[in-house]
Amino acid sequence: MQSANMLLKKIVRSSVLPFAAQHGMKKDFFLLTRTLSLSPCLKQDKSCSPSEKLDLDAWKKVMKSGLQEEVSETASEPKELSTFAAAREILEMWRLAGRLVPENISEEQLKTFMECPSKSAKKKYLKYLHLKELYKKSDKRKMEEKRERRLETQDQASNPDETKRNSFICSWASGMDRAYSWRVAQSMVFGQPLVFDMSYEKDMSIREVANTVRQIVFSEGCNRKSADPFHIHFCNLKDDSLYHREFIKHYSKAWDKLLVTVTDQCYTEIFPKEKLIYLTADSPKVMKTFDHDKIYIIGSMVDKSIKTGVSLARAKRLGLETAALPLDKYLLWNTGAKNLTLDQMMHILLTLKDTGDWKAALEFVPKRKYCGFVSKPVHELKKNLNLINTLKLGKRQKEVGKQFAKNYSKKLTQK
Amino acid sequence: VQPPEKPLQAEEWNRLKESFQSPEIFEEVMLNSMIRCNSPIDVAKSLLTHVAKSDGDIAYNLLVKYLALCVQQGQTSEIHDVYDIMKIRFKVLESGAYSLLIKGLSKSDQWRMALTLLEEANQLMIPSRGNYESCIKAASRHQEMNLAFQLYHEMLTKDLVPTLDVLQALFDFSRGMKGAELQKQLFGILLYLRENQMYPHKTFMRSIKLWFESIPGGNWRGHLTNIKDSGQCPVCNHQLEDSNLTEEEYNDLRERIIKDVIHGTDTFRKTSPQEFEAFQTFVENRLPFDIVIDGLNVSHIKSRRMQCENLFEAVNCLAKGNARLLVLGRKHMLSNSPNWKRAVMKEMQNKADFFFADNISEDDTFLLYATLQSGKHCKFVTRDFLRDHKACLPDDLTRHLFRKWQRGHQIVISASGEGKRNVLSVFVQQPAFRYDCVVQTTGDTWHIPYKDNFDEKYSYEVPRKWLCIQRK
Repeated sequence: MQSANMLLKKIVRSSVLPFAAQHGMKKDFFLLTRTLSLSPCLKQDKSCSPSEKLDLDAWKKVMKSGLQEEVSETASEPKELSTFAAAREILEMWRLAGRLVPENISEEQLKTFMECPSKSAKKKYLKYLHLKELYKKSDKRKMEEKRERRLETQDQASNPDETKRNSFICSWASGMDRAYSWRVAQSMVFGQPLVFDMSYEKDMSIREVANTVRQIVFSEGCNRKSADPFHIHFCNLKDDSLYHREFIKHYSKAWDKLLVTVTDQCYTEIFPKEKLIYLTADSPKVMKTFDHDKIYIIGSMVDKSIKTGVSLARAKRLGLETAALPLDKYLLWNTGAKNLTLDQMMHILLTLKDTGDWKAALEFVPKRKYCGFVSKPVHELKKNLNLINTLKLGKRQKEVGKQFAKNYSKKLTQK
Repeated sequence: VQPPEKPLQAEEWNRLKESFQSPEIFEEVMLNSMIRCNSPIDVAKSLLTHVAKSDGDIAYNLLVKYLALCVQQGQTSEIHDVYDIMKIRFKVLESGAYSLLIKGLSKSDQWRMALTLLEEANQLMIPSRGNYESCIKAASRHQEMNLAFQLYHEMLTKDLVPTLDVLQALFDFSRGMKGAELQKQLFGILLYLRENQMYPHKTFMRSIKLWFESIPGGNWRGHLTNIKDSGQCPVCNHQLEDSNLTEEEYNDLRERIIKDVIHGTDTFRKTSPQEFEAFQTFVENRLPFDIVIDGLNVSHIKSRRMQCENLFEAVNCLAKGNARLLVLGRKHMLSNSPNWKRAVMKEMQNKADFFFADNISEDDTFLLYATLQSGKHCKFVTRDFLRDHKACLPDDLTRHLFRKWQRGHQIVISASGEGKRNVLSVFVQQPAFRYDCVVQTTGDTWHIPYKDNFDEKYSYEVPRKWLCIQRK
């Protein structure tokens, strides 16, 4: 048995291991473990000698002996590594050590990695790449599963006899596209303008700009599909700015055919100042109703590090009116910042435009951020507060409670 | 999973593995729990042997985990073996393995090997401060103080902040040793503490004291003491450095505040250029003030009372010594609301100058500007820690200056107990320190503030206890 085992090991080591070591890829290792998992079964079949003496350092011999040939191989290789190759080596070791590191990394990504200013920045970037890779992989797997399933159903339902009686040619997608385009084109003539202010490039990191553009792409999509779209303006958008490059990346050729107005002018140059309202969460003023004659401005900014008052400062500088969504008035806020993503803003504004219903519009605020809608009228809240205060503070301090409730209700009504 | 107590045969491992819910990670999980339970390494060895025999190879992460177990138990020869295996098996090692190897070997008698490993790791990346810590401790444990200090300086050039532990070790192992060079080095550490406003804790302080007293022929004597409010040391009657900034530092801080805190990336974020200009001329015309008050902050001291009453009492209290007051507020304070009675506001305006900023402006920035513009004698009143403003400053040095200035110039008012309803007693929480709380020396004396406990200090508090060392 011993000899059989040794033989097996020899074969394995000489054939698979060097290959795996050379390529150093996970796939190969998987392959390796899969083939090798047979060996314990073999062993169990043959013998179960219980008196086998345990050699605790046997693993060292295995590790050392199997690698003599390899050492000679690696030694002959040129020793100096370029910094890139060295970085790649380290990444590979980190991956082996079980850290969150992507399997494959492109030259460009490697360069960004090496330019990260600190250890934690490097770690974060690698984790980001790793997760991205995971998502990509699982998407691919799902796609394949889907395709298989489709093929199966096609096989089953291949009855050529059944003729379809239908007065439409089946081309929904392009037909819908055309219909949407008509509507947006109409809105470009008659529709209410909505401005995206693209002047925040230097307040953001590269990744934040990429996120911003992604959110705008989503917003544009849902605007196109709505019943009564806005006429979208991208103002302050300079040619060959980061925003611009990201847009091209997303839309490629469709960018020039997009039914939006793109300009490097400021909104104040295009529209009368008194019609403009800058939407910002920092605004002291709270929006009460959606005004169909006004032009709302959304700042195209993703703010991951907290920079308060940046968009409010823009509006102040230009002397524009500002407004914030009445989130506190309608929602019992739970956690999270009051600034919403651009596509959420778009959904909310579109709903407001169509229905004027705050409750329906604020459904688009992420559920994790609030506990529920403020359903009871203010005077009932006041009653409850009174009750709580009397219970809490006792009778003696009833007065205080009343005073507090009064103030509170005033606050509510002010909003 | 519970690791077994003695080494197992291959079959037994197989059985365990099959009963485990996710067999792919069985070895990893098992080794992890061995580390947690500090199992004998023979058990781990038997697992590795099993893995090696069935797979013909042992994955890197398992080796690292085994290494961690060896380091935990100080098994030097095993650490060596694992290192040898890793070396032939892999072209480079990563930081985790290096850290473990350095940590493990630095405690053994082969500590010099840790140094070569540190060197090796250095070529791949910047070693962590923990790596340096192990090596420095190892070197000083073997009385190689020159080597230890060499490593210490190498660490500083890499912008790593040494732990207090390392510094303490350097003092501990230099005890009783002779040499002017060594003495200079240790004084250097004390100056490092001074520059970075670090405070030793109690045990570290004791090490410093013992080292001073052990210097052959030095005749140093240390005493624990509290410094008087006047800034005099009760032991040696020495007057500590005062908390005032130098002229240059003061101007530097003032300019930084204007540039980075008030203007920042965009003046409109905190105020507007028109408003700031208006405020500047307002201040210029009335200079200098003695006390600048953050009106809104002070008005919230007692929540049960009207806000203007709170402010009124504070102003009355502070106006006693004929001090020139400036109260900063916002425009809404003038609107005759239930909290802000016009009559009271009128009366206050006779006693102090008022400036009302726009409701959406930040009044704190005006507070800083007015105080700094008035000169070094001027103090300000707020309960705010001003952390957000400190955070706007670009570098550590200016932030330290800001902290120091704040310590010397901020008056914190708080309301006294419930009983006295009408008297707002002003007690100054930190009586605007007259002396500077850092490690300091005159050559013949050293004064070192220290933390009494490990965790009692907040970053805004400074220690009140001192170590006074003087040469007899």
